[in-house]
Amino acid sequence: MEHIFTDLAALVAGWVSGSPQWVQTLVMGCLYLIGVLTFIFLNCIFLIYLERKVSAYIQQRLGPNRVGPRGILQPVADALKLLGKEDIIPEKADHWVFRLAPIIILVPAIMVFAVIPFGKNMIPVDLNIGVFYFLAVASTTTLAILMGGWSSNNKYALLGSMRAVAQIVSYEVPLAFSILGVVMIAGSLKTSQIVAAQENYWFILLQPLGFLIYFIAATAEVNRAPFDLVEGEQEIIAGPFIEYTGMRFALFYLAEYANLVAVSCLGVTLFLGGWHGPWLPSWLWFLIKVYILIFVFMWTRWTFPRIRIDHFLDFNWKVLLPLALVNILLTGIGLKLYQYITLGVW
Amino acid sequence: MFGKGLLKGLSVTWNFLWGKAITEEYPERRPRLPSYSRGFLQLDKEKCIACGLCATSCPNNVIHIETVKDEQNKRQLKAYRITVGRCIYCGLCVESCPKGALYWVPDFERACYRHEDTEVDLLAAEEVKGGA
Amino acid sequence: MALGFRFDLEELAADTIMLNMGPQHPSTHGVYRAVLTLDGEKVVKLENVVGYLHRGIEKLAEDRTYPQIIPYTDRLDYLSAMLNNLGYVQAVEKMMEIEVPERAEHLRIIMAELSRMASHMVMIASFSLDVAGWTAWFPPFREREKILDLFEMASGARMLPAYMRIGGVASDVPPKFFPALERFLDSLPEMIEEVKGLIVGNEIFIGRCKGVGKLDLETALAYGVTGPNLRACGLAFDLRKAKPYGIYPRFEFDIPTLPNGDAYDRFVIRLLEIEQSARIIRQAMAQIPEGPVQAKVPRAIKLPKGEVYHQIESSKGILGFYLVSDGGNKPYRLHIHSPSFVNLGIMPKLAEGAIIQDLVVIIASIDFVMGEVDR
Repeated sequence: MEHIFTDLAALVAGWVSGSPQWVQTLVMGCLYLIGVLTFIFLNCIFLIYLERKVSAYIQQRLGPNRVGPRGILQPVADALKLLGKEDIIPEKADHWVFRLAPIIILVPAIMVFAVIPFGKNMIPVDLNIGVFYFLAVASTTTLAILMGGWSSNNKYALLGSMRAVAQIVSYEVPLAFSILGVVMIAGSLKTSQIVAAQENYWFILLQPLGFLIYFIAATAEVNRAPFDLVEGEQEIIAGPFIEYTGMRFALFYLAEYANLVAVSCLGVTLFLGGWHGPWLPSWLWFLIKVYILIFVFMWTRWTFPRIRIDHFLDFNWKVLLPLALVNILLTGIGLKLYQYITLGVW
Repeated sequence: MFGKGLLKGLSVTWNFLWGKAITEEYPERRPRLPSYSRGFLQLDKEKCIACGLCATSCPNNVIHIETVKDEQNKRQLKAYRITVGRCIYCGLCVESCPKGALYWVPDFERACYRHEDTEVDLLAAEEVKGGA
Repeated sequence: MALGFRFDLEELAADTIMLNMGPQHPSTHGVYRAVLTLDGEKVVKLENVVGYLHRGIEKLAEDRTYPQIIPYTDRLDYLSAMLNNLGYVQAVEKMMEIEVPERAEHLRIIMAELSRMASHMVMIASFSLDVAGWTAWFPPFREREKILDLFEMASGARMLPAYMRIGGVASDVPPKFFPALERFLDSLPEMIEEVKGLIVGNEIFIGRCKGVGKLDLETALAYGVTGPNLRACGLAFDLRKAKPYGIYPRFEFDIPTLPNGDAYDRFVIRLLEIEQSARIIRQAMAQIPEGPVQAKVPRAIKLPKGEVYHQIESSKGILGFYLVSDGGNKPYRLHIHSPSFVNLGIMPKLAEGAIIQDLVVIIASIDFVMGEVDR
């Protein structure tokens, strides 16, 4: 059970072992891509249903329960509905940018999964700069949202995309700094090494403040409440996505859930011990921990009101960033003390 | 401590999560409505004396009554039509009936497909009992 | 270092944009339109545009007999329907000098205070929704369902019962009404605690609402603001104590006031008013006598020639009914002084300098109902 996916990869590698190097890289790359895409899409489809059910139970109601047993086929109904919608592009909108934006937003959402360790020996690409690559690629989401909002030729969309730029760019900073503490302890940017360093105890015990900052910054990065100013439903209606219909809107939606899964996976990798765990296969432990973190994201979404933009930016630059810097300072001091205690030298 | 309100909110939501749903699953479970709930009007043909008080008390000219004088020179009801589209369900007609012939029934599931079906003839309507 | 082009500061200055927060918007509480002139996200000017829900109630009333107007008054402030009924029938009774039986007066008080509670519950629920506290919408609406069930028990209709009549109420309540009312009042503190836990104590909400839409007392009095909005500015003015009507002098209740006059105070004061209404209802339940529920009034009601103006404290402020009669059975003129229409007048003043997020909070905290504004 543990090795089911690695065995599959070894099988395919065996088929192409005689071919030239570039064929082998191509085939294995495609295999990993298909695996990652399957993971993302299955998760997103399930998350659509899970979000509605969790929000319903939190709000003392039942959620979807008509389509299929206990409503489990609701995402199918949603997908069919969105496919059947009329594809409207406003006349004065910038046509090419309008059409490109939903595609471009999905690309970084998929690319970041290249460095996530899904289980033991199950990283698609084990980069030396794994975490750095994740942060760099994830920031390009801003561009797609800006494109979507600007090209819609709608004032509400413009306001939403401006807010998105301010939000995502600002919250990159504490996100990066909170991860820095973990990198300092593990001694490497490689995700597989970070997970290996958590064999005995998870980093959330060593970096509680770092985890809290990461959680808050990640909520802001994926535009979820209480930081969903980008699509502040009650103020600017759907923000940059206001003019999108049908499948284009579905792609934005999909990208939002893919981003949620991505930050949860990174959170599990950095703070919750990755795929470590007794008895069950490693990839199953990974999945369980990711879903626990996703549940906490959903719990906070349905509890808290939306924060105001100036409080939001104040909170970022005046509270989160100093706390993240303090965290780094304490981590550094702690590491030196640990080194002294264990080795006797500073 | 900063954040106490946030944690209290989380605890309230946690309790909601594990509590019972407060919604009713309609149409499997029907609502229990009182018998005089303003679903729709019903006419008791025996009790009606065709006085027309209901039509005059209606603020919106919803009720249209046609009467004939029969052999004993008594007024008999020929037709009793309601334009449901104009009715505001105020109940002044039911209140004004001296014999209690006009009454409410909790039949609220009266959506129809054609506009002609919103002109209802209460003499031809069957006895309908709605609600629980 | 010379650049290849020259900057013209005039051309680079940002323009203001005109945004229409139109009749269809998730947060404008009905079909209210605000034409905003925005500088970035800050509002430079706000223009109220109303009239999207005008149904001509005052004109219709000129062709209806006095009892037939009662269902129309339901539809003014449709969230607290029976308070409008009360104002109208008391205006007619004032002119005809009818004395209402005791049981009917107590039932009227109970229904009026229940309507006030229902209206305030909608306000706190939709306010929470406007700041995206989705879960906090459910407890007030859960309790409001119980109020609507009580209305259905008494009159047959949930939201627009037209229960009051000239000279009393339409019908007596069934025996199971009072135990159900008791159960509802007992479950009320739990709802208030849930709203306090989810919203009122929440730091994000406090940051969002404190200091927003600050209305000082002089401005409020100058614009003629009444109701909970005025009481949140610090003035304890409630028509039920200042110029009592009905049997309100017999009941003991406080008038909650809060000092700041911002959106947060306007929210909390409605929670406090719900508690005070519950107090009044308990006293009315204890004191209600047996007896008839309608006074003897002629079948065709004719008002003597003249005019009358009667004011009550509705859930939004001072609601006034002005009736002119020429001696017939239909009024010559009915004019409704609606509190929401007057309260809307401070929107341009409060909105200056607010960003759109604050504007949504201000609109929600003033709590106007377009049915009343447009009639």
